[in-house]
Amino acid sequence: MNRRILDHPILGKAKEDNYVSFTFNHQSYKGLKNEPLAAALLANGVRTLRYHEESGSCRGIYCNIGHCFECRVTVNGKQAERACLTPLQDGMVIESNEKLPTPVKDWSAEHE
Amino acid sequence: MTEDKMIVCRCEEVTYKELLETADKYDCSARELKLRTRAGMGYCGGRTCRNMVDKMASTMESNKRTQTTLKYQPPIRPIRFGDLGGHEK
Amino acid sequence: MNDVIIIGSGPAGLSAAITCANKGLNVLIIDEYLKPGGRLLGQLYEEPDGTWWNGINESAKLYEEALNKDVQFLMNTPVHNIEKAKDGWVIYTEDNTFNTNHLLLATGAAESPIPVPGWTLPGVMSVGAAQVMTNVHRVKPGEKGVIIGVNVLSAAIAMELKLADVDLACLTLPWNNQLTEEAAQPRKVMESLLHVSHMAPSPLVRTGSKFMKNDFMKKLGITFYPKKGVKMWDIPIQLRKAVIEIYGNNQVEGVTLATIDTNGEVIKGSEEHIACDFVCIAGGLYPLTELAAVAGCPFYLIEELGGYVPLHNTRMETALKGLYVAGNITGIEGAKVAAAQGVTAGLSIAKDSGVNGLESEIKKSIQSIERMRENAYIQFHSDVAKGKRILQDQWKEYKASTETVFL
Repeated sequence: MNRRILDHPILGKAKEDNYVSFTFNHQSYKGLKNEPLAAALLANGVRTLRYHEESGSCRGIYCNIGHCFECRVTVNGKQAERACLTPLQDGMVIESNEKLPTPVKDWSAEHE
Repeated sequence: MTEDKMIVCRCEEVTYKELLETADKYDCSARELKLRTRAGMGYCGGRTCRNMVDKMASTMESNKRTQTTLKYQPPIRPIRFGDLGGHEK
Repeated sequence: MNDVIIIGSGPAGLSAAITCANKGLNVLIIDEYLKPGGRLLGQLYEEPDGTWWNGINESAKLYEEALNKDVQFLMNTPVHNIEKAKDGWVIYTEDNTFNTNHLLLATGAAESPIPVPGWTLPGVMSVGAAQVMTNVHRVKPGEKGVIIGVNVLSAAIAMELKLADVDLACLTLPWNNQLTEEAAQPRKVMESLLHVSHMAPSPLVRTGSKFMKNDFMKKLGITFYPKKGVKMWDIPIQLRKAVIEIYGNNQVEGVTLATIDTNGEVIKGSEEHIACDFVCIAGGLYPLTELAAVAGCPFYLIEELGGYVPLHNTRMETALKGLYVAGNITGIEGAKVAAAQGVTAGLSIAKDSGVNGLESEIKKSIQSIERMRENAYIQFHSDVAKGKRILQDQWKEYKASTETVFL
């Protein structure tokens, strides 16, 4: 399955072809150098980019232009980078966060 | 999933039902609704849900037209503690 | 220190930068996106004269011109705060602090969401997200999609997705609740579509569509609420159906669609499932004004402009000395209006920086904004001009009130 739009009736043929390698959650993929990580991952069929810290629900891109922070991932050890704004480089190591433990009970109901 | 579980604030996973009930119970302003439920207080800074939280508040502030009801405060994008502390790169 | 700093490299920011540089000013543009152009990048539509408006080319032209005039660019750089200093403005980014006497906010717009049960599932995205993915990054948002929200923006982007051979099951309405308001009421949506009827003619005729001139609006107008919906560019537009749930295990697998009455209420038992792997949410745009707000600009809520806008005069000056605005931060309009506003802001900044003899040029540029507005191909709100009049009345009122205080 190729999700890339290689030819377009108005925009013409895709010009970029400089593919580089990267890993996402320890799996290897290829993407175009300098395209946003979100595009590289979607082109590879990857939709889930992170898990909600508290509920663990799957999350992917939402706004795609840096406003919503839903696509934040860890890039080369640096946390909370927006996949939609970060240009892909050769050898990048990208990781999803995991659901965080919530050892503190929610007391709000009892405090009413 | 039922409509009760529909999320309004994606960051903090605050539901429509929770906001409706809170607005109803406390008859509150947008700011109070935000503080009681955490809707709009998550990672994105309320950019995604602020207008929805505003709409769900049951009391309209009197000066609503001339002033945004939910305040904007810096930083308008999250900053890492390391950057705030001016660590060496 | 730069004479001017511009936050936002969309059509407004780029045009302002070129204008300032032409007048001999030293300009820095800061933007958090990875390439210049802003939301102009994703735009692709056919002009009435048959030529295509290609946002990527338009952005590249402006960017090259700015580079040729020695405008400096700092991309991939979010601004998280601005502050008024003794003289001028301080701009804070992650790595640096910048100072300038003249600061232009050209931060554009953000998309308003429509909440739908299941809308946090991966595969659900704003309609603008799908546009950028398709036209700018050339990656399909999915194999088959459903667009929730029928408005001028979603209609334009649906056509763009179609051009890229992305399959759309339908454009339809959101479930009616306290938050969706008019966007969930067939009659209101219908009314709002009537002023974009000119968009219907022939965009795809040359690429082989079966679409007939004005067919869409004719059908829509004659049979007010067709049960099976109408087709635009071969995409079904369902004004009598609404998505009541997006379902899927870890990612979108489909939507549940229900028939609604003319007021948007769901008719029980009418639910059906449509398989799809992506969903676009099209709730419209609102001015992204955060920096103007933290700076302390006075605001006014004007529905015709898409929400709260910082008060400013026709020369694009805000109430705060040295702070200017241009583009969608001043109200939701097209890229050509934004670019024209950028020119006016650039000229105002040049004048305030001490460049003489610009008065007539500024006046002409203001007229040019109005001309662009009148001739706009896409109008996001039918009453934008009225919104702008309200804004100017509010500006005058504000100015009068502050002058009284100091008298």
